[in-house]
Amino acid sequence: MSFIKRKSKSKKRAVLKYVLILLLLGVIILPFYWIFISSVKPTDELIRAIPTFVPEKWTVNHYSNLFAASDYGQYLWNSFYVAFWTMLITVILASLGGYSIYRCSYPGKNLISKLILVAYIFPQVLILIPLYKVMSSFSLINNLWSLIIINVTICAPFGVWLLKTFFGTIPMAIEEAAAIDGASQFKTLYKIFIPLAAPGMATVAIYAFLTSWTEFLFANTFILDEELKTLPVGLARFITQYNVDWGLLTAGAMVTAIPPLVFFAFVGKNFVKGLTTGAIK
Amino acid sequence: MQLKIKIKSGWNNTSLFGIVLIAPLLLWIVVMIVYPLISSIWMSLTDVDFLGINSNFVGISNYIELITDVEFWTAMGKSMIWTIGNALLQLILGFTTALIINQQFKGKSFVRIWIILSWIIPTIVLAIIWRWILNSSFGILNYILQLFNFVEQPIDFLGSFQLAMPTVIFINTWRWFPFLAIIILAALQTIPVEQYNAASIDGANSFQKFIYITFPMMRPTLSVLGLIGTLWSINIFDVIYMLTRGGPAGATETIPVFVYQKAFQEYAMNKASAAAVILFLFLSVFVVFYFKIEPTFREDNFLN
Repeated sequence: MSFIKRKSKSKKRAVLKYVLILLLLGVIILPFYWIFISSVKPTDELIRAIPTFVPEKWTVNHYSNLFAASDYGQYLWNSFYVAFWTMLITVILASLGGYSIYRCSYPGKNLISKLILVAYIFPQVLILIPLYKVMSSFSLINNLWSLIIINVTICAPFGVWLLKTFFGTIPMAIEEAAAIDGASQFKTLYKIFIPLAAPGMATVAIYAFLTSWTEFLFANTFILDEELKTLPVGLARFITQYNVDWGLLTAGAMVTAIPPLVFFAFVGKNFVKGLTTGAIK
Repeated sequence: MQLKIKIKSGWNNTSLFGIVLIAPLLLWIVVMIVYPLISSIWMSLTDVDFLGINSNFVGISNYIELITDVEFWTAMGKSMIWTIGNALLQLILGFTTALIINQQFKGKSFVRIWIILSWIIPTIVLAIIWRWILNSSFGILNYILQLFNFVEQPIDFLGSFQLAMPTVIFINTWRWFPFLAIIILAALQTIPVEQYNAASIDGANSFQKFIYITFPMMRPTLSVLGLIGTLWSINIFDVIYMLTRGGPAGATETIPVFVYQKAFQEYAMNKASAAAVILFLFLSVFVVFYFKIEPTFREDNFLN
């Protein structure tokens, strides 16, 4: 009797569990579903008083307008350019810095590691104004490299921290063994540590890409020309126009979301792992 | 669960190589953060104009003007509401979500990765999604609310003085709670199962297990999240700016938005700098205070 009771109780719990999980997924995924179907509805259906939950008519007009009638293609290219160089430089700086901090010994290192810590919890708005002046003195206002430089500044300190678990947990005996075999420090770094830390470096690379892809504050301030704007700034201008074209805007949002999603689909598992092992040690 | 890595910091045969490797990053940080920080403090003490041509030292008069400015204190208050609201909501939802997805269920590896979908998308996409859903003329949410007779008139969530701040906090929480959940989940999974088994044998119920095992074991992770999360959310600018631009009538104007408006709408660089410096001091005090009151917290949790 009590056995049956317990069984029905555990069944109830299992149902509750799946209900909660579905609810959770719904909260996360439904907004994306809504923006997707909105981007493929014709404009008259889009602004109908009674919305359709599955499009009656499908259209790619908003997507073709996006590339034909706006500077979206140019924004997309600019964003890719900035993200690519941000990724590359961040990975190099963070790997070298991480190796230095977790594997080498020299006076002043503790101070440097504290400085790096401060650098990634810093109010960005605090350095925005002086950086504007720094950038203009180097004639970098209205130049995509100003964004690459600032994105690396945002990403590299966090990258060093992410690499801690990868550099920090490799036994010191490896360097000693390599030194006995006559390998130089540089050779040890790139023959042994770079391959071992590769998953960590991939995490740093994705983090840098995501950060660069979304960065708005500096891109909105340092770039003045229309043809140099990145996606977030370009799209933000669409929002504030008097007559908002929601078809265009939702299509723009979809295309902007695709590169991070594709990236994540391939390496999401390692990214989450890298992120969480870094956070909990 | 701490894996301590010794930072050795004396001279030895790795020193020269270490210094060469850290040099580029160090130089980068000094030029991009340390110098601007000092420059910001300097600017806040001058009457510099937008072009930076004329600048005379004026002492703390910018600060005095600022602290007698009602708009500044309103922005400070908004920042407090924003930060505390986000921290509480995200922690509760993040912890609950972590407990839910920590169970065994079909598709768990998929859910545990893709749940952070809302975190990986760019802020502008988030802004478009929610502006469209909450739109007062064509938004789906207002349609549903009216369909079920919850409201008679459509609600302008982002345009209402009372609702704008809660709405923006909600949207930012939607973005961040899954991220917190996966970090908390990873920490939950480091708790040895034996502890729960032993507690079961001793007759502990689920609630007691949570209070005496889960929570203490989670404390170091929660304390790091608490600190970094607070600093990150205080500094958030883009979500608010894209959703409301600080409006309506300053309803969502936190300090970062205030600084931006002062600097790039009113071109009052000196006052904007002073406000940013006050924010920085405020955060520094918060960090020091946090180190003091949080016993499980060690700053070497970050780097050592």
